[in-house]
Amino acid sequence: MLQAIFTGFFGLAAIWFAVVVFRTSSMVRSALALLFSQAAIGGMFLAMQTEFLGVLQIMMMATEMAIMAIFMVMYMMDPGGLGGMDMTHQKRASQVAGALGALAALAVAFLTGWGPIAGEVRPAEQVYGLGIEIMERSMLIFETAGVTILTAMIAATAIAIKRRGSK
Amino acid sequence: MTTLTVALVVGAILFGIGLYGVLSQTNLVMIMMGVEVMLGGAMVNLVAFWRFLHPEAYAGQMFVLIVMTVMALEMAVGFGVGTGRFRAKGSVEMEEAQDLKG
Repeated sequence: MLQAIFTGFFGLAAIWFAVVVFRTSSMVRSALALLFSQAAIGGMFLAMQTEFLGVLQIMMMATEMAIMAIFMVMYMMDPGGLGGMDMTHQKRASQVAGALGALAALAVAFLTGWGPIAGEVRPAEQVYGLGIEIMERSMLIFETAGVTILTAMIAATAIAIKRRGSK
Repeated sequence: MTTLTVALVVGAILFGIGLYGVLSQTNLVMIMMGVEVMLGGAMVNLVAFWRFLHPEAYAGQMFVLIVMTVMALEMAVGFGVGTGRFRAKGSVEMEEAQDLKG
């Protein structure tokens, strides 16, 4: 019961801050709202006894959103939101698509028979199990993810770098 | 309502909000934020499935790690493209990027 309450509390926080991301006109507030939303998702992971992923999520998102806030201030035409610019289009169609997407996912959540709910999971057992999974069965996937990150870093730098001879 | 249902409901709503953001925003950075919210919803579902249905199968947690990697990659490549676009055109507004159409 307590687990459901905490999961629901962090879930509500995640939803609230996700709404704020697209409601506020200040870009810095928007980035911070996304940071809080993702941190609340990390809180949900912790409430669901997924300690390793919860801590990882909070740490990763804190740095990722801090970087995002810097880029937003750099690239937005009105980062403070003082000009009251509208940066949306096809609003009605987007609202309908978002509502339909959420409704479809909710229908699956409520109409599917998920089977018996599993019991307790011990944290120490969990870290050990994940370590074994990464180093044995999923090693190739894990290594591929690492190489893909390196490739993306090189590609992103190559795209962003100033061309020779450009102003 | 079980914790699994609570998590699935939160995941579904986050997915819907993210989808709205992706489709409605005109700025590249805001579109990327929408994708992040959608991926956040997907991660909540994956963790809930792992924890409440198959805690013995750690591939579920591994899947979440892969989604986190995708989030980081999306940010890196997105900002790379954004920087390139900003250098070339002075804006990352997607309505002004019709010239990228094939």
